[in-house]
Amino acid sequence: MISNKAKKQIDTWIQKYPKGRQSSAVMEALKIVQAENENSLSAEAIAEVADYLDMSSIAAAEVATFYENYNHKPVGKHTIRICHNISCMLNGADDLVFYLEKKLGVKTGQVTKNGLLNVKKVECLGACVGAPMFQIGDTYYENLTEKKIDDIVDKLK
Amino acid sequence: MADIEIEIDGNVVKAKAGEMLIAVTDREGISVPRFCYHKKLSIAANCRMCLVDVEGAPKPQPACSTPINEGMKVHTQNEKAKASQKAVMEFLLINHPLDCPICDQGGECELQDVAMSYGSDVSRFTEGKRIVANSDIGALIHTDMTRCIHCTRCVRFGSEIGGIMEMGGTGRGEDLKIEPFLKEGITSELSGNMIDVCPVGALTSKPFRYELRTWQMHSVANIARHDLVGSNIFTQTYKGKVKRIVARDNDSVNETWISDRDRFSYEGLAHENRLLKPQIKMDGQWKEVEWDKALEFAVRGLVDNALNTGGGNKLGALTSNTATLEEFHLLQKMLREVGSENIDYRLNVKDLDNVINLESTIKLVELEKVDHSLIIGANLRLEQPMINHRLRKAALAGASIDVINAMSFDFNYRTNSENIVSPGQTVAILAEVLKSILERSCAEIPKYLGKVKIGDVAKCIADELLESNNSVIILGEHAINNPQAASIAKLISEIAQQTGSTTLNVSATSNSMAAEMVNFVPGQGGLNANAMLAADLGAYILLDVYPQYDFHNSVQAIKSLDNKNTFVVSMNSFRDKEVARYSDVMLPIASFYETSGSHINIEGVMQSFAAAVSAPSESKSAWKVLKVLADLLELSGFHYANSEQITGEISNQSHKQKIDNKEINITAKRGVSVIWQKSPYAIDVLSRHATALQATKIGQMHNALMNKATAKKEGIKEGGQYLGVPVIITEKVANNCIFVHANQSTGDKS
Repeated sequence: MISNKAKKQIDTWIQKYPKGRQSSAVMEALKIVQAENENSLSAEAIAEVADYLDMSSIAAAEVATFYENYNHKPVGKHTIRICHNISCMLNGADDLVFYLEKKLGVKTGQVTKNGLLNVKKVECLGACVGAPMFQIGDTYYENLTEKKIDDIVDKLK
Repeated sequence: MADIEIEIDGNVVKAKAGEMLIAVTDREGISVPRFCYHKKLSIAANCRMCLVDVEGAPKPQPACSTPINEGMKVHTQNEKAKASQKAVMEFLLINHPLDCPICDQGGECELQDVAMSYGSDVSRFTEGKRIVANSDIGALIHTDMTRCIHCTRCVRFGSEIGGIMEMGGTGRGEDLKIEPFLKEGITSELSGNMIDVCPVGALTSKPFRYELRTWQMHSVANIARHDLVGSNIFTQTYKGKVKRIVARDNDSVNETWISDRDRFSYEGLAHENRLLKPQIKMDGQWKEVEWDKALEFAVRGLVDNALNTGGGNKLGALTSNTATLEEFHLLQKMLREVGSENIDYRLNVKDLDNVINLESTIKLVELEKVDHSLIIGANLRLEQPMINHRLRKAALAGASIDVINAMSFDFNYRTNSENIVSPGQTVAILAEVLKSILERSCAEIPKYLGKVKIGDVAKCIADELLESNNSVIILGEHAINNPQAASIAKLISEIAQQTGSTTLNVSATSNSMAAEMVNFVPGQGGLNANAMLAADLGAYILLDVYPQYDFHNSVQAIKSLDNKNTFVVSMNSFRDKEVARYSDVMLPIASFYETSGSHINIEGVMQSFAAAVSAPSESKSAWKVLKVLADLLELSGFHYANSEQITGEISNQSHKQKIDNKEINITAKRGVSVIWQKSPYAIDVLSRHATALQATKIGQMHNALMNKATAKKEGIKEGGQYLGVPVIITEKVANNCIFVHANQSTGDKS
């Protein structure tokens, strides 16, 4: 499942660590393999990465399930990564998640029928000053309200 | 070792600088609560239960990861320490279910104990508790993951001791779960230790589930007899039945671990197949009789068929290698009293004129200090788990491990080189190694090595052996039926001598060291196991022999025993169809943990044990049966009141050091060789009857492995059968070798 191109990319990361410590490249390797597989990691993909780095599958799975930037289910073209950590939660993030779910007609973790969007609850993104907030692609959107969400989300293609 | 002084709770304590605080308090008997700390595992410091107050530190410190310093003042019981411990306890109990009444860990639960001392009596937590789905991780361990407190002892056990990380923590924060990858389950041969290290009821013994509370049982210190280590255990019994086995600490033997085979084999004791009543065969029909009748019948048979007709020479005795030291001794004493030297325990060896004669010269604790090891013909991990564990420690500390095997096995440490050669080539490669060593030390090259050409592999191994200061050469079970077994052993002794290496002979397992100690092998004029079967003896005494599993060539053995002129007295702990076919008397004997006796481990250390329970129904300890048989045969010197009296009479009578002058034969053998190995969980009758062990992956090793070329040569196809087991084609096996994992013997093929 890991393409030769991906293997080459992983190898450059392995080079950066001392010999025998190739498993240190696991985060980058997972990222590379995820990018190749429609932005999500299946259990088999995790096992293959682990195998390639000569580490146990569960150790790779620990990493892959710890960080929010790895997906374990199919995702849409855009992922709305909404923070539900303390500051955002106190500022009404939960209500906004509910609003988003209602608006898009899918639960968090599900993809809209047209394959365009999915909502993912993530941990603190370090933008508490503008809570509540979410991230789409590389952009942070802060001080969200229902109206603001409508404006942002409706423009996504 | 006392370097520095520190003060704990106002008392001055001597300790070594750099030691962790918890190690000092443990040694001094000061109680500090803990969950994640385990003396044999790495420090995680993630449960925070062991917080103590260290003067000068602003916050309480975890005792498990705080190294001590000169003049340190520690309070384990003051307000600050107690308050932090109580707070941590409260957090740990937030998600822990209050299901102690239905939890198997209840009564031996660290969380329960610590909560009694440090917990609050009323919970302030009114929110919902989290629930975690269980994973089915195999036949041995039951999981209740809602009870897990994330101490990660099982995770660390897997990666540090078991050598394969099988459990891990996935997810994060509130979603953190301890689980195996997908549904792979746990396959380690040491997995049962996870039950011991789990401080709560998350991992419990599956066969023991809902059986009993720990305080209802009686714990008896005992010795496991399934391998060459003799792991120290507690057999826990209830109303005369062994209900569970747990590890007993002994740093010079098994540390705090035991193998799954030692832990779960007890299940076989309660199997319905136990032989419970003495039986005699009258006119081809089995009849249950009283002990005195059966013994009388046995003695009359022995006298009529052997002693009166041909003297002692007509009588033979064979045993399995699981008998106790005392049983081996009594049986050989009895045979030698009546003038027979037909004594043997080596039932699985094809050619008893070509046997491995190699001393073990290293102690178990020394094994973890070696800097190099050469393993020949062994799947050490599954066959001798505790020995492998010691060697793994050495490997982790940097020892380089070279392997010469007929098949590539999963080692749980890195090997320096793994050389897969067919059994016929083993002797040749060792000859090359020896020659290379002799050449480099400018020693005289003996004649038989004259023509040997040294290959690269041998040169590398010779290099390693010469360069290391502390090397051990390990010879395993796969070599016993090698056509040049004797030469292999001799070459190894020679190599060891030349390089100052130690040797470890793990080619015969269980209690075979005891058999050697009392010289349970034929003496002058005696017949060995194979010769006896070929010689048409008048009578046999067989001790816990199960022909289709124990004999190398079971078909021939059964045929030879099943002769109407041969009188067979079988002493067995389990019923067996074949035994019933050829025997004339079947005497029920006690199995493991039902008799007192002794085990001799690979170091030659004798470990004696008492019976944990009495033998079921009418079965009796074999030593008692042998004693009475000897009395009835009117032999003198068999009056023992207990098995210790027998032990006292035993001295080391091993004749192993006898020199045999046969020359070393180093010609490589051509053609296909077959290696027959029983599943590691089928090496003795008790393990074979332990249901849970048999249900594991290791218990279900039934296959014939060979590479493509060999299969083609032999006309065997993938998916077919070879000697009754399914064929798997794999390039892991050496060319010209078929590796058969079958519990029943494969006949004369190997």
